Amino acid sequence: MTLLSEILELPDSPEAVFSAFCEREWCDGLPIIPPTLERVESMLGAVAGDPQESLGALPPLWREATLEKLAVNAVMAGCLPAHFPVVLTAVEAMLDPAFNLYGVQATTHPVAPLLILSGPYARAIGMHGGSGCFGPGFRANATIGRAIRLILMNVGGGWPGRHDMATQGSPAKFAYAIAENEAACPWAPLHVELGYAPDQSVVTVFGGEAPHNVNDHVSTGAAGILHTVSDTAATLGSNVKWYLSQSQLLLVLGPEHAATIAGDGLSKGEVKRFVFEHARLPLGTLKLGGMWGIQDWPEWMRAVTDDRTLLPIVASPEEIFVIVAGGAGKHSAVVPNSTFSRAVHRPLTRLLNGGHRE
Amino acid sequence: MGRETPSMSESRSIRVLSPVGEARPSVLTAPALPSDLRGKTIGFLDNTKANFDRLAADMGELLRRGFGVQDVVHRRKANASSPAAPEILEALAKACDLVLAGSAD
Repeated sequence: MTLLSEILELPDSPEAVFSAFCEREWCDGLPIIPPTLERVESMLGAVAGDPQESLGALPPLWREATLEKLAVNAVMAGCLPAHFPVVLTAVEAMLDPAFNLYGVQATTHPVAPLLILSGPYARAIGMHGGSGCFGPGFRANATIGRAIRLILMNVGGGWPGRHDMATQGSPAKFAYAIAENEAACPWAPLHVELGYAPDQSVVTVFGGEAPHNVNDHVSTGAAGILHTVSDTAATLGSNVKWYLSQSQLLLVLGPEHAATIAGDGLSKGEVKRFVFEHARLPLGTLKLGGMWGIQDWPEWMRAVTDDRTLLPIVASPEEIFVIVAGGAGKHSAVVPNSTFSRAVHRPLTRLLNGGHRE
Repeated sequence: MGRETPSMSESRSIRVLSPVGEARPSVLTAPALPSDLRGKTIGFLDNTKANFDRLAADMGELLRRGFGVQDVVHRRKANASSPAAPEILEALAKACDLVLAGSAD
């Protein structure tokens, strides 16, 4: 295996390697696993493809996402080789023009690609969708999410304040990766809803803000919980709604909320419709600030003059995604998107040995 | 007790690979900027954010009065975060000698 990366010779101590990477702005501020030749080769051994094959040029500096460079960053993040196919598939998905990675990388808006892994490979590699799934504590979630960030920084060139212009950044920019809690999902999981077979494994990337908490401890029916979800989703300060054609919403329902909603007989489609119809703001509120005056709305919304009219935050129920994740408790989360980036789904490919290691 | 001293540890070295990606060289030749703006058409690509339209209007007027610019073309993207539509770029390229891509926030 021929690798072409520049090689650095450093003192063989964790502190020295960490310092050298920090000085060069090659890491996220946390210690890294030194990307030695042997470790990078081992990472590359988990996928099919030539190390110099590029998945495309990553913005904002348009540097090539070769398998070799992706593997170096995955090693640094602490990934196991079995995690690498997920990282690689996420990069493929982020390079889909619909995802608008340039916008996600460069915006002042605090957004990060949320990686959702659906299907059996999540279980095979220990990708966690249960209690505390957004972290901390789970190696697959933490290291796969971190590998994505290191790739966006080191290959894409999105360094904070320089190309990554997020005003305040976000904790979600360290690592943002979960699995669905398929065992606790009363509906079809996301990948099956999208038309994939149950035994396929699918990566979704969703350019989203950090999760917004939905606390509903008292509702005993679907309507109460979904009103709370809708109210959390429809806020003046969220970016969602201003560029309506690109606005999307992800609902991450906790298993207890999902069970209550499904217990009232609602399908996933009906959940989306409810939230589409109730997550609205009156025109008069929208005029108070946010991006009023520079919004990109369809003609019918621009024609509204009555300040009491409730206006939607996404263009249709289909722009709302619903997954179940988390553990015990009466909490869910709403993840607004970056309003110029659309969710992209990709089945896992390039798995060697069948990939499914159950 | 078997523990290495710092000097022993640091006397060894480790070889690591750079994580930084490389851009493929691209061949893109841009025409030289005009040395004189007299009689030229100047374009502004508006990113839609607040006040860029005002800035562009003032600059356009200054360029007309002070530098002999003949015409000013102002085109607006759909929104700030999406790339300009190809037809907007084509129209600007066709009509203008020089285009300023604007940013305001």
